[in-house]
Amino acid sequence: MTTAEVFSSPVAATGAVAFLGKEGAYWRLRIKGAALIMVTLGIYRFWLATDVRRFLWSNTEIAGETLEYNGLATELLVGFLLAIAIVVPLYTAFAIAALADTVALASVALGFLLVALLGEFALYRARRYRLTRTVFRGVRFDQHGSAWNYALRALAWWAVVILTLGLAYPWAQASLQRFKMRNTSYGDLPGAFDGSGSALFVRGLPIWLLVVGPLVTAIVALSVLIDWDALNAIIARGDADATAEIMGIIGYRGFGIGLAAVGTSLGAAVLLYPLFQAVMLRWWISGLRFGAVTVASRLRTAQVYRVYLRFIFYVLLFVLLALFVGIACLFVIDALLRPAHDANLAELAASAMTVCLYVVVALGASTIYQVVVTAAMWRLGTQSAELSGAQALESVRAEGMPVSALGEGLADALGVGGI
Amino acid sequence: MTFASYYVMPSGPASYFDGTGSARHDVLVQAAARELRIIGADRRVLDEWSYADLRRMSAPDGVLRLGRSGETLLARLEVRDRTLAAAIEDRAVTLDRGGAAERALRRKVVGLSLAAAASLIVTAIVGVPALTSRLIPLVPLAVELKLGNAVDKQIRSALDARHLGAAFACGNGPGKTAGREALQKLVGRLAAAAALPFHLHVDVVRRGEPNAFALPGGHIYVYKGLIDKAQSPDELAGVLAHEIGHVAHRDGTRTVLQTAGLSFLFGMMLGDFVGGGAVVIAAKTVLRSSYSRRVEAAADAYSVGLMGKVGGDPRALGVMLARIVSDKDEGMKILLDHPETKDRISAINAVAIAGVTTPLLAAADWSALKQICAPRAADGTAAKTGQAAKAADQGVPPQR
Repeated sequence: MTTAEVFSSPVAATGAVAFLGKEGAYWRLRIKGAALIMVTLGIYRFWLATDVRRFLWSNTEIAGETLEYNGLATELLVGFLLAIAIVVPLYTAFAIAALADTVALASVALGFLLVALLGEFALYRARRYRLTRTVFRGVRFDQHGSAWNYALRALAWWAVVILTLGLAYPWAQASLQRFKMRNTSYGDLPGAFDGSGSALFVRGLPIWLLVVGPLVTAIVALSVLIDWDALNAIIARGDADATAEIMGIIGYRGFGIGLAAVGTSLGAAVLLYPLFQAVMLRWWISGLRFGAVTVASRLRTAQVYRVYLRFIFYVLLFVLLALFVGIACLFVIDALLRPAHDANLAELAASAMTVCLYVVVALGASTIYQVVVTAAMWRLGTQSAELSGAQALESVRAEGMPVSALGEGLADALGVGGI
Repeated sequence: MTFASYYVMPSGPASYFDGTGSARHDVLVQAAARELRIIGADRRVLDEWSYADLRRMSAPDGVLRLGRSGETLLARLEVRDRTLAAAIEDRAVTLDRGGAAERALRRKVVGLSLAAAASLIVTAIVGVPALTSRLIPLVPLAVELKLGNAVDKQIRSALDARHLGAAFACGNGPGKTAGREALQKLVGRLAAAAALPFHLHVDVVRRGEPNAFALPGGHIYVYKGLIDKAQSPDELAGVLAHEIGHVAHRDGTRTVLQTAGLSFLFGMMLGDFVGGGAVVIAAKTVLRSSYSRRVEAAADAYSVGLMGKVGGDPRALGVMLARIVSDKDEGMKILLDHPETKDRISAINAVAIAGVTTPLLAAADWSALKQICAPRAADGTAAKTGQAAKAADQGVPPQR
């Protein structure tokens, strides 16, 4: 091949985003990882997380080039150990405070707040780690901004969301995404977020009305129907046999209303959850900005419903299989141990098998979720995205340095991790 | 560069990112003897990468993405041409063709994790009990007393399901002095022989189950159900001696230390994965039960010794145990916090010398002690101390 041939091949600089990964390869990665996690009592999770990110990142093609994840599993392990060094004394302090009975309630509330704050802090710092390990066209992403600032904002927004029964959720999301994205950059290309809370509110209001609406209606209706003073009097008396009296006051109509409301709300939540995910993903992707680069999402809701239906089908299949294997194992153990006449051995084998089966089912269901839902949503999200102004990606200057994985470790220790 | 070497050298197209900016350079790459030569569109050599510095970076299938080690700039070379990629992999050992080195590293991680798990389990079975035994003498008695007082309040209110308050304990009211004195006599004989560093405090409480337990610091609770089941003062004394054994061995403090050690071993370092919580809980339960079985066996042996010292029947504890569990299914053996009763009885009988002994209490004292929780209406003279006491006097039905 001559140099002339090499340099004449034109590459189209379109704004297309694609996902190149094969699901079969991802299944193999996840199943092998789950088995090794089980065997190593969890230590392998740092290597699995790194493999998963390598797979997802390097198969995501943006405007003709793929992303690269260059984080290392050992960095995650070190971050986790560092986090343990912080979290263990903290939990010990809470335990000591909880033992002194005068401050028990206050210390529990304070502890909960502190852990929530630390959790949000960890999420922000973990995002920073992942971004600084994300390379695109030889230039890394970066994130600045104070993680404590973010954590305080997030906590304040959560309080508002709870107080407004979820109605403030769109604005909370918009505000937090704006904070994250304006502190994000690709080289010298500054990130921004252009999604508006009001737009998300309009999209989400029907979902809220169907899920939270029945509960609010029922509470209003019951507050009119029920004689609250009489009920309070009974509860204040603290009698153990008051159940019948309470039933009498609430009445069958009251119970019917309550049950119908909870049923409708739960049913709506299950049926509308994929729609909610679709609305959120579409809104989030369409809001992403890097300098002059804008993103639009053509994600269709039906695609997301298909993802969840497939998940339900796979889980049902898996549980049936696990039940079958479990019963078969019981028969085998019984046949093997019957001649031994050792009750101890039989008990040990049966309990070990029960624990094993539980772990296999839990880990299996989580693996199915990771492949059939999480990875599929990643694929749908990328494939449905379209960049405009992609030529700006060609002239970015490199900036920033990699940071430690403390945030990842904290998120892991507190159980709030992401991808 | 000679004319000949230019054509012998494997070469091919690649994408090159120089790391200072995102611009893509379409380049020609030559795999020279010691380095990769990256040649730009103007035929100029843009960079030369030595094979020793090459690192394989994650990339989709069919792409060899190269970086250099020790670089802060992230210069990348992406080779899609298979022959060129193979030629580069032939020359650069660091690229770990086929991933053998990476697999060996993973195997090491798995192997070391298994070793860590095994050492953890051995430490939990052998190390934690051994460590706690050596730590207990270092825990001051005052700390144990404080611990006992702290749990006493909680345990007492949990047991006192009917909210009887002061009347929950038997033998406090006037008219019950005979029962109380009999109990004191029995406890006094045992305490004198035991010579504990703690002051023993024995309470009989209105619970129907045949049970007794000791708290750290010398507070022993005996249930009314146990006194009802006992047919001789020595049987009651055998159980009391067993509980005194827990006090003497400082088993309350031992349990606290052991539980803390287990939580540290299992809670933080391992098990942080889906379903792992179940493994940790199962392992902790089995281990805690095994610690507890050892502690109970030691208390049984102590009971035999103490009963021998005061001249009681050392086998009475076994007789009492047999009566209590005659109609109970004990459940899964590895989850039992006491050894199986028939094993306990045979262990007791193995060390206890059989022989004729005189009962530890005279017949009159024993019948007074048996009546310690009886309704006060029986003696007719007692003053009522309040509604709660009155409720208690109606006779509390057994809880289970």
